[in-house]
Amino acid sequence: MAMLEVKNLNVYYGGFQALSDITLSVERDQIVSILGSNGAGKSTLLKTISGLLKPSTGSIHFNGEKIDPLGPHDIVKLGLALVPEGRKIFSTLTVLENLLIGSYSPGARRTKDEQLENVFELFPRLAERKGQLGSTLSGGEQQMLAIGRALMSQPRLIIFDEISLGLSPVMVKHLYHAVNRIKQKGMVVVLVEQDVKRSLKTADFAYILQEGKIRLKGNPKDFTEEEVKKAYFGL
Amino acid sequence: MLTSLEPLINGILLGGLYAVIGIGLSMIFGIMRQVNLAHGELMILASYFSLVFLQLLGIHPLVTFLFVLPAIFILGYLIQTFLFNWVLEKGMEPYLMISFGLSIILQNAMLLLFTPDARTLQTSLAIKSINVFNLFYVPVIYLVDFVVGFLVLGLLHLIMKKTYLGWAIRAASDNLTAARLMGINPKRVYALAMGIAVITAAISGVLVGMTFTFYPHSGTQYLIIAFGVVIIGGLGSLPGTFLGGLILGVSQLVGGRIIGPGLQLLSGYIILLIVLTIRPQGILGRK
Repeated sequence: MAMLEVKNLNVYYGGFQALSDITLSVERDQIVSILGSNGAGKSTLLKTISGLLKPSTGSIHFNGEKIDPLGPHDIVKLGLALVPEGRKIFSTLTVLENLLIGSYSPGARRTKDEQLENVFELFPRLAERKGQLGSTLSGGEQQMLAIGRALMSQPRLIIFDEISLGLSPVMVKHLYHAVNRIKQKGMVVVLVEQDVKRSLKTADFAYILQEGKIRLKGNPKDFTEEEVKKAYFGL
Repeated sequence: MLTSLEPLINGILLGGLYAVIGIGLSMIFGIMRQVNLAHGELMILASYFSLVFLQLLGIHPLVTFLFVLPAIFILGYLIQTFLFNWVLEKGMEPYLMISFGLSIILQNAMLLLFTPDARTLQTSLAIKSINVFNLFYVPVIYLVDFVVGFLVLGLLHLIMKKTYLGWAIRAASDNLTAARLMGINPKRVYALAMGIAVITAAISGVLVGMTFTFYPHSGTQYLIIAFGVVIIGGLGSLPGTFLGGLILGVSQLVGGRIIGPGLQLLSGYIILLIVLTIRPQGILGRK
């Protein structure tokens, strides 16, 4: 059984259809990549999976449980975490408070000290800055914080939305290294990216979205450059 | 000359009470960007609750907190859950109207139940005063008001900085979408926050009842004080509210001494106007 199973998903914004008939699955022990240009429907898909948007038709199952009727706060408790696009860290809370609020779910609170240690081990920079306000961090540090905060909820599946957006190549490399370590710890990783090359290199399975539809899917090693271009740009 | 310290000291002490009157209003604005016009009535409702327990059980007004605070917390939680939570996403007007309606209903319910007579929560504290270096007197009840007020604000500060509830409240007002992704159910957090806000209102209501007389319609008068405090200090800021309380208290009493006791309120609001002109977001408020 797949960890995350999305079936025939249709999502509308008013009269505009943002996603049409999306079916995808994420298996355990995988890094799955979802690619697409701006406006392809990636963010809508993530908002729907995390419960911020409700689909018109279709279903989403996580670990066998139907999650599409649930609110975001209930979905987090089941072990599905989202690192949102644009980080969305709490700028008026300190770094430490940002991390602690990540363990808000009752299940995660009990092990928060242990989780905190893991996060600080993964990103020592956050430990150095734990007393500072979130707003004082650099873009890369904010991304680390957003990832650390998601890890605090003890997720089984973690989705990264535009992890590399607006960051330096050195920082992106550092963050991808962290993603690999997160996978090694047994979490399932979903990468949603505009950065095609790096994301295809990291993924075990990839979906390419365009205009709300899946245009290409499979093991990225089997993709030809021609196929990827066609699916991504619609050329 | 030193006797002119009297209104200053008393103003500071009274300001501690004013700060607690304002903090609930400030909190709700900081968290939900909404104004609860029933704040004053909830305060006075707690004064009457306290009066009932005081007369039934013959206990000290401060001991009635044991009964009044849990009851008013539940009331606040229910009001938020069954009234305010329905209109949160619809802008400020529905919230204002509902809370205005609630204030009218509470006022008239209190009038019906408790008659329009002036009441007070009598204690021996109310008639004691401390002689300061043979220069002037400080009423003991003002000292109690200040100490309790200071403790309430300190405790609130600790809740906000050290507990999951506090982090959740601050996170929800900082970035609602991200807060929901952290597992926070905003409506539940708002209901708990309202429960806490009305607890602070209830504490100030009991203090007011011990210090002054109150009537079913006294709420409005204290709502205006609450507005004064949070506008001077800055809406949503806890240290700002404390400072706002002190400034309003001092400007009322010192102003009253200078231009006459009949114009106490006026001198307080002159300071309010000055702050509004120079720093509209309040002294410690953020834009």
